Amino acid sequence: MSAIAEPAPVTLRAPRRTRTASALATLARRRAALTASNPRQILVPLIGPALLALVVAPALKIATGGLHSHIDYESFVGVGAVGLVVPLSCIFAGLSVIVDRHSGAQRELLAAPVPRAYLVLGNLAVAVALSALQVTVLIGLSALRGGEFHITPDGVAWFAGAAVLFTVFMYGIAETLASRIKSQEEYVGAVPAVAILPFFLAGALFPITAMPAWLTTIAKFLPLTHALALMRYAFVDPSGKGLHDIWGMSNVTTEAWLSLAVVALFAAALTYGSIRAFSRSAVS
Amino acid sequence: MHAIEAEGLRKTYPGGVEAVKGIDFDVSEGEVFGLLGPNGAGKSTTVGMLTTTIIPTAGTARLIGHDVARSPLLARSVSSVVFQEAVVDQGLTGRANLELHTKLWGVSPERAKSRMTELIEALGLNGLIDRPVHTYSGGERRRLEIARALCSEPQVLFLDEPTVGLDPRIRHELLDVIAGLRARDDLTILVTTHYLDEAQRLCDRVAIIHEGTLVALDSPKALLEQLGREILEFRVDGSPHRALAALRDRGIAAEDAFAIGARITVPLHRHAATEALAAIESEHLRASEIAIRVPNLDDVYLQLTGTAVREAA
Repeated sequence: MSAIAEPAPVTLRAPRRTRTASALATLARRRAALTASNPRQILVPLIGPALLALVVAPALKIATGGLHSHIDYESFVGVGAVGLVVPLSCIFAGLSVIVDRHSGAQRELLAAPVPRAYLVLGNLAVAVALSALQVTVLIGLSALRGGEFHITPDGVAWFAGAAVLFTVFMYGIAETLASRIKSQEEYVGAVPAVAILPFFLAGALFPITAMPAWLTTIAKFLPLTHALALMRYAFVDPSGKGLHDIWGMSNVTTEAWLSLAVVALFAAALTYGSIRAFSRSAVS
Repeated sequence: MHAIEAEGLRKTYPGGVEAVKGIDFDVSEGEVFGLLGPNGAGKSTTVGMLTTTIIPTAGTARLIGHDVARSPLLARSVSSVVFQEAVVDQGLTGRANLELHTKLWGVSPERAKSRMTELIEALGLNGLIDRPVHTYSGGERRRLEIARALCSEPQVLFLDEPTVGLDPRIRHELLDVIAGLRARDDLTILVTTHYLDEAQRLCDRVAIIHEGTLVALDSPKALLEQLGREILEFRVDGSPHRALAALRDRGIAAEDAFAIGARITVPLHRHAATEALAAIESEHLRASEIAIRVPNLDDVYLQLTGTAVREAA
């Protein structure tokens, strides 16, 4: 073998730096543009929950007589349906990560001079924005159908806090699964376990105390239970019955903060986990 | 300092597969360097390590002095990659794909605009650039990917099997485009391929990688000169090894002659073709498909590895 003996000195250029905010905004804009080019991703997650709020809840109210309390059942389920729309929306967003890996620009993004965590965070920003839109539409439809919502500035803050943190948590699950699961088929197979099962256990359609005690205990550990109780406390039930069912304390504000902390903890853990899973799957 | 430096680069995948077994090479600024070998030889793993998507098990690699393991962001900031398969956002327009690249690589908006205009023109993308990429043909998409890689004015460009899967016309068009990149003195190109004619046409130097090891590294011209001016090639009906031995005994074939299957290849260093043909006749070798031709990189590869590159690919 031979090699060129003495190379000419290499031209050193001042390295270009991509600013954090600029890189994140670019990645989020990219994901938003791809999502907008596929309207099904926006509409499909809404269909089931909207039917639940507009058709199933009123029918169940007539059939069962509602909750037999001061809480309106249609608005109860209207908020409960958020517990379905957010997971479905996030699962769809996770599917985009697999598509990106198989037939999109993921490898180009991995070769870009930006930390790989930004790829996850850019997608997360769009998942949160899309879920916010879908939740707003869902609550709006539920209100038009006759749901009673008590909107106050404090309530909006609690609702938004719970919804955003729950979305962050769910997106963390979706991204982690997308990074670990190789094919779209396998990924879709995980949907019932991560999106549907918790919906039935977390008090979306009925209070968790209506279930057997052991299931109620399990429900108290689900972030969705805490998120739904918070969202209902915000818009439907200022007395915080759902929060009281979880914590059994006398101060509803304390219960609300505790539930928010639980959802935040899950959100932080899953975001960290999803970044780790993505970064590990990106290199070999 | 070289534009690309690899020292003792090694990759062992979980499960013990040794894809790259400690390779060393340097590529000077402005050089077009070819990494040749069949699929599974270790080319893509080597490019993966240089582009920071594969973590080396041992050794170091630097791009423009930036260590790919210690300063991956800096290494990525001076380089771009054109991948073997489609790596584009199919749902976005060509322009959106280019803009995404310039923003992520931190190119100023003014420079990005002028650079994009320049490359869209140069790569014949004018009529396509505002169409979604899923409407592009394979060749158009590949031109877009080259334009995208050049948008950030990289100092090191990786072309991973750039023409694989393209039809011959598009392949030749693309080779022209790549040959045109050589005009840029400050652009160092590492191209992987198993088409040896491409390497011969494009590269200043080539490294032949076989089972994770570099078995040759030199200019195509120097590698070809090792095989002399002419090659005698023929099929033999009977034992090829006995035929080869007979030609060696007569001094026609040297140590670099080789047999693959029933086909014998004899570099003619000091003998004329007529002498070789006379030897075949006098040894009563049952030869057919006799050809005298100039050597090419296929011969170099076959001689070094005993494997047909294209067969193995």
